[in-house]
Formats: sequence, C-alpha cells, structure tokens
Amino acid sequence: MIRHGLTPRQRNIGIAATLVASVVFILPFVFIFFMAAKTKREAALFLFTWPSEWQLWSNLTEVVVFRDYMLLLAYFNSIIITVGAVTLLVLFGAMVGYILQRRPSGWNKLIYAGVLVGLMVPPAIVPTIWVLQGLGLFKTISGMILIQVAYGLSFAILLFRSFIATIPRDLDEAAIIDGAKPLQIFLRVILPLLRPVTVTLIVVQSIFIFNDFTNPLYYLPGKENVTVQLTLFNFQSQFQSQFNLLFMNILLVTIPPLIVFVFFNRQIVAGMTAGAVKG
Amino acid sequence: MTDVALKSLTKSFGLVDVIKGVDLDIKSGEFCVFVGPSGCGKSTLLRIIAGLESATAGEIIIDGRDVSGAEPSERGIAMVFQSYALYPHLSVRDNIGFGLSLAKLPKAEIRTRVEAAAAILQLGPLLDRKPKALSGGQRQRVAIGRAMVRDPKVFLLDEPLSNLDAALRAQMRIELTDLHRRLGATMIYVTHDQVEAMTMADKIVVLNSGRIEQVGTPMELYNHPATPFVAGFIGSPKMNLFEGATAKAEGCTTYGIRPEHITLSRTGGKWQGTARHVEHLGADTIVYLKVEGMGELLARTTEDFPVAHGETLFASPIAGREFRFA
Repeated sequence: MIRHGLTPRQRNIGIAATLVASVVFILPFVFIFFMAAKTKREAALFLFTWPSEWQLWSNLTEVVVFRDYMLLLAYFNSIIITVGAVTLLVLFGAMVGYILQRRPSGWNKLIYAGVLVGLMVPPAIVPTIWVLQGLGLFKTISGMILIQVAYGLSFAILLFRSFIATIPRDLDEAAIIDGAKPLQIFLRVILPLLRPVTVTLIVVQSIFIFNDFTNPLYYLPGKENVTVQLTLFNFQSQFQSQFNLLFMNILLVTIPPLIVFVFFNRQIVAGMTAGAVKG
Repeated sequence: MTDVALKSLTKSFGLVDVIKGVDLDIKSGEFCVFVGPSGCGKSTLLRIIAGLESATAGEIIIDGRDVSGAEPSERGIAMVFQSYALYPHLSVRDNIGFGLSLAKLPKAEIRTRVEAAAAILQLGPLLDRKPKALSGGQRQRVAIGRAMVRDPKVFLLDEPLSNLDAALRAQMRIELTDLHRRLGATMIYVTHDQVEAMTMADKIVVLNSGRIEQVGTPMELYNHPATPFVAGFIGSPKMNLFEGATAKAEGCTTYGIRPEHITLSRTGGKWQGTARHVEHLGADTIVYLKVEGMGELLARTTEDFPVAHGETLFASPIAGREFRFA
C-alpha cells in the first residue's frame, strides 16, 4: 500500500495555515464566549482572560428576558424577514433568469439594463422611505422583505441566468414533447436542476439578511419591529454599557447563521461535485 | 393510408429560407429516413413535424388531421433527441413515466406501462438508477422508452446514434429496426450517415439545401439516383462523378460510375492510371487511381487482385452500370 504522507514542508505550511485561521476565526469567538460568561464588572475591563466567575446561565436569562422578551420577538421578526426574502429571491431570481436565458426578445436588453442598475447604483435611503410610505409599507415586515428582495434580486438573476445557460435546451423540448406547460417545465425540470446554485444563494443571502443591521435600522423603526442585530443596542448606551450582556447577545445572534453555514456548507460542496447537468 | 403528410411546407429564419417547399407522404408503419449533409434542413424539418418549430407556410397532416397549429403533445408524436435529453434529476422510471405523470394518469397504470416499456428495452434492472449511472447505449434505450410509453402514432428520431461508438451504433441499428418491426409504428429518422439510411429505411428522403432531392427505397436510390447529388450521397465509397471534358465525351453534363462497378486490369481497359493510394479493408480493397486528364478515380477490388502502390492499371466501367446525368 502506498502511504500518502506529507513532506515536512507541506506539514509545516499546513500547521501555519491552521494557526492563522484559528487566530482569525476562533479567537474572536472564544473572546465573545469568555466575555459573555463574565460579571458586569469583570467584562468592563475588556481583557482576554478566563472568567473568574462563570455567569453564563444568569447572563443568558437576563438577555432573553430583557425588555419583555425583546430578543425572542427579534428572532421571530428576523426569521420571518430572512425566510420570506430568501424564498422570494430564489423564486423570482430563477424565474426571471430562466425567461431571460431561454426566450430572447427585444425586452431583454431593457431588463438587463435594469438588472445592472440594480447592481451598480447605490440605494438612496430617504427616497426609498418616501416610496415605502406612499405604498403604506414603511415600518412593516412585508416592506422590509421587499427591500431585501430588491437589494438581492439583481445578483440572484445573474447567478441563475448563467447557471441555466448550462442546462441543455433539449431538456425543455423533451418536456414540451412530454406535454409539459411552461410553468411545469420550470417547476418540474429546471428548478430541481438549479439545486446547487439555489443552495449557494440561500446561504449567502440568508446570512446577509439575517445579519443586516443598517437596513432594518432605516426602514423598520418601531419597538415591535425589532430585528436581532438591533437588539445589540439594548446594552450599549452613552452612559452605561453592560458588556457581559452585550457579548451574550452577540453570542446568541451569531449562532443561527453559524448553524445555517455549517449545515448547508456540506450541501454546497455535495451539490457542486454532483452538478453533472449534462443529459 | 397515409400517416404523415407534409404539404408545401416552408420555413424561413429571417431572410434565410431553410425549408423551401417540401411535399411528402409517409405511409403508416413506414421507417422513413431523412438524410442529407449538415445544414440541409433535415433536423429543422423534423422539429417542424414535432411542433418545436413552426412552419412559415404549409400543412402538416398526421393521421388525417391537420396539426400545423397544434401543441407538440397533441400531435400524437414522440421524439428521441440526439443528446437523449434525459432529466438528470429523475430516475429511469420517472424519466420514462414523466409524460404520463404530466397527463395525470393513475400511479398504478403509469407503473405498469413504464415496466412494460422497460421489459421490451431490457431496462428492468436499471429502473431506479439515475441517468448519469448509465452507459451511452442504456441512456439511448431510456430515451426510446420515454418515447414508446406515450404510445405515439409517429416516432421522431433526431440522429439518435451519433453519440455512440461505432460498434454500439451497428448494434443499435439492428435493435431499432427490430423495435420498429415489433411496434409497427411509423418512424421518421434523421441522420447524416448514409449507411444508417441504407440499412434501416423503408423509404429514404434525400434532402439538399431545404429541398427534397429524391424519395425512394434504399435500392431504388442506389440503382436509379435521379440527380448527381443523390448519386454521390448514397453508396460507400462515394460514386465517381465527372463533369467537364470527361462528361462531354460521354454525352452528358455529369458522368458517374460507382467504385464497385469498375473492373481493373493490367493488360488493357478504358482508362489508364497509376495507383496513388491503396486502402485494404480486408475483403475489399479501395484503389485511388490517378487518371491523366480526368482526375481521381476510385475503384473497388477484392483480395484476388492485389494492387501495389504506384502500379499502372487499366480501369473499365461495367456496362449498364454507368450513370449519365443531363
């Protein structure tokens, strides 16, 4: 049997890379975890030290209970916004990408121009708020979902369009011969084949939307509309900051995206290696 | 009874006329092959019959009904694509049954029909595999199964064997001919390979730049080609065709003689030439003769008459097998 051993050089580089990666990714996380376990007084010192007194559970309950269970409401809102926006992004991105790729028409140029504008032009906050107010969508969760869809749609369309270009047109035609209507072709033949790119989009966009701080800050004011990132304001003020609770809050807010990433990461890799689309 | 009839069918892409008026009758149960060089419009013609392209003008009649405006699925046709076009995310069973499930047939009926088709094509053990776990020949059979299960009046096959290697292609030719005999369905088969056309067809339609050049049985086309194009296209190796002075001496504008209708001799004959190149195919030997004032002449001979490179030979046509096109 041949042993695929590493040369000393390869091993050293590997160890160095692992160390660098752990400094960049693990150390901040460990720091957050230690801070979240400290007392208020100890956390205020801002030192990277082992907590002298473990207060993990009491900090946790305090953060959750704070301001009438605001964190739970924030989780609820954030999940609704993320799931709603990502679902619409996948559906519309795939549909528009499919039509753009498969049915060339005079309108395509105009649509492409719109997509590019969506990618390049930075969104203006105040006019957007006027529009939302005019539509009666300001300070509503559905308004926030539409904002996130609008921000992410251009990218999603381009991603799907280029992926659909790799799916042979013969498949559409075979489905037509088999008696499929256009919507059935899309739902039963094309959409299942978009799985790898759909998973990628879900991971990227859901982490982005869940972690979004500024957009909910502008477009979704109101105590009942709070999202997870905005709960971080609870423990930080001009005169008094409770860093142990703040870091506990950060810890709780970081966990869902981490789960999504860890869970779907395998799917992305599996999807890419099995992405044999050829008929 | 005529099963498929095309009446003055034309197709233009912008200013380019791809199909320039095609009239054709295909009888029920016939194996009809469209053959021609690439770009002659044979695939377009098939796609128009399938309904994947619309004709610019003309009628398509299938089983006595004008289907020119009908959806592909309402025409009573099934198609096998060159790339097989199997749905990669579905198992063989679901691939074959896709059309039936779209038609909302009961699950039990889909199952029995899929399994019946699979039994004919010997796909039984592969029903739960995905297409990517199949070999080329097996994928080909799945594509045929998907067409069969719809019980169509007409099978349309678009160069179905061109992705297979030579040995498998020869085997699939026989299997397809057997299948045609067994099902008794009308089949329209597109190919650029005249060997496939000759070996499988009841009726060959030779197409050239959007027009039908000639229609007939394989032997009719071989023995009585109507035009130099058909003469040159049907038969292997290709017929020797001469224009200009050689043809004029024979009293025509194009003179043709098949390599197999030339006798070679060392003592004397009609034309004298040197063997420029010799191909030994085993039973046959193809001799490329360079004839002064005429050009290259291919002749077929057997192993009884060994020819050496550079040898001077005499060639004569067999009487009655020459073609003179006006």
